[in-house]
Amino acid sequence: MTLSRLDLFDDVAVRLDSVSLRYDTSDDVFSGIDLTLKQGSFSFLTGASGAGKTSLLKLLYLALKPTNGEVSLFGRPTSRLTRDQLSAMRRRVGVVFQEFRLLDHLTAYENVALPLRVVGRKEADYRPDVEELLTWVGLGKRLHAHPHTLSGGEQQRVAIARAVVTQPDIIIADEPTGNVDPEMGARLMRLFIELNKRRGTTVIIATHDLGLVRQVNAPVFRLTNGLLVEDVEFGGSGSGRRRTDPAQLAEGE
Amino acid sequence: MARETPLLPVEDAREMALFFVVAALCFLASLAALTAKSTYGAAKSWTAEVEGELTVTLQDVDRRAAEDAKKLIEKVDGVRSAHLLSKDEIDKLLEPNFGNRGLPDSLPLPQLIAVTADPSIRDMGPTLQRKLTEAGYESAVDEHADWAGDVRRMLAIARIVALTAVALLGSTAVAVIAFATHAALLARKDIVDVLHLAGARDRFIASLFERRFWVLGLRAGAVGALLALGAAAATIFAVKAHGARTGLLPELSLDFADLLVLVMTPVIAGFAARLAARITVIRSLKSVM
Repeated sequence: MTLSRLDLFDDVAVRLDSVSLRYDTSDDVFSGIDLTLKQGSFSFLTGASGAGKTSLLKLLYLALKPTNGEVSLFGRPTSRLTRDQLSAMRRRVGVVFQEFRLLDHLTAYENVALPLRVVGRKEADYRPDVEELLTWVGLGKRLHAHPHTLSGGEQQRVAIARAVVTQPDIIIADEPTGNVDPEMGARLMRLFIELNKRRGTTVIIATHDLGLVRQVNAPVFRLTNGLLVEDVEFGGSGSGRRRTDPAQLAEGE
Repeated sequence: MARETPLLPVEDAREMALFFVVAALCFLASLAALTAKSTYGAAKSWTAEVEGELTVTLQDVDRRAAEDAKKLIEKVDGVRSAHLLSKDEIDKLLEPNFGNRGLPDSLPLPQLIAVTADPSIRDMGPTLQRKLTEAGYESAVDEHADWAGDVRRMLAIARIVALTAVALLGSTAVAVIAFATHAALLARKDIVDVLHLAGARDRFIASLFERRFWVLGLRAGAVGALLALGAAAATIFAVKAHGARTGLLPELSLDFADLLVLVMTPVIAGFAARLAARITVIRSLKSVM
């Protein structure tokens, strides 16, 4: 796929062009990765431990700069954005971190409300939404509990509620169901699917849980040996390493 | 919800230690500033006392001739008063050298006249000298110029030392606060990261630390200034209570300028802390994407 052809797609949410990443003096985590995800797409990212899934996600939620190549969100190359523009871009991306990253001095309610406080929303305005969201993830009676008093599964649900509370254009989730029981896992997946279908939110989920992957008919990308490969076993339309075509992605949906 | 929890957690032990250090630095800086100010006041006071004071020494004259010389001096323009010292007064003046048993009668003593003149009139010494010579007196007029010069030089050095101490202590406080802000930022990297990734602008994150360190600087500065006020007041009280002879110490009396120094200390500490926090946070955030 050539760049000129890619430019025809004005509804591209994520595009990686020949992206490589290296930490300090170590070898490349991955290199030459190309990926294009349309707005409203739903994708899985899999790979063995240490394959670089979390690093790839960090590039997508703008926590890291690639060593080489370009990461573009919503058609805008992020390397050319000012710091304020990067902040604005991050607000369009909701992230569920693998280690939750909840702030322990804040309650579950305050953790979920954090992205709204950051943009200056008034508590009176967002309070009903936050309470409703926490009730929906089964934590309606634990609004004022601090993270250290919550179980791993409960913390994960708070983290997910925080990621979706701003109704972002992209949701990036790193092992979002790793600490919850299958029933809650299925429920959370339904949340992601609903956001994807109803709001057109682009969803990217990194997971080891192949059972979860089988539940959803969505493209699966696998990181292996520093390369990004679309996995044919789980609904991929090609074989081996190939570059993702937005048109084909749309067909896959 | 009654009140939103601050995004930065309440202060911890590290900040208490920093509070102590900043308060101690502000205490020392306040004392140094008060010292510099009192030195300046003392220099003015001492030199003002000396300027306009002259001592006339008359050789080989009796008391009656000395009285005539005194009357002559009093008539000179600009002379406010002239006082012929008695034998007892001269004894007391020379007590440090000869002890308190008085001077031997056989010791020839000059007649001394203490003159107070208008300090703004120049060349008073030569004028008196000329008048006395014209009247046939063999005299020496001392304007204490050397002593006043020594005092001025000594106090100028003391003032420079005190001001240097203020500058050093102030810059040390700023450096300590900057270092502590950086440590606080590292200790709360998790919070900074989450805020950063939630889309908080650098200014927003910096403002959280600025507020925290502004309050810390104000409070620590206030404690340091209050301690300095207590120390100065205690020193003055102790000196006055023991009836000690005072030269520099009376200048430590707490006037409006001294209180202004003490009021400004916490404000300067607060601003320094705030500025250090802002610069440190913005610089640290720019090192990440």
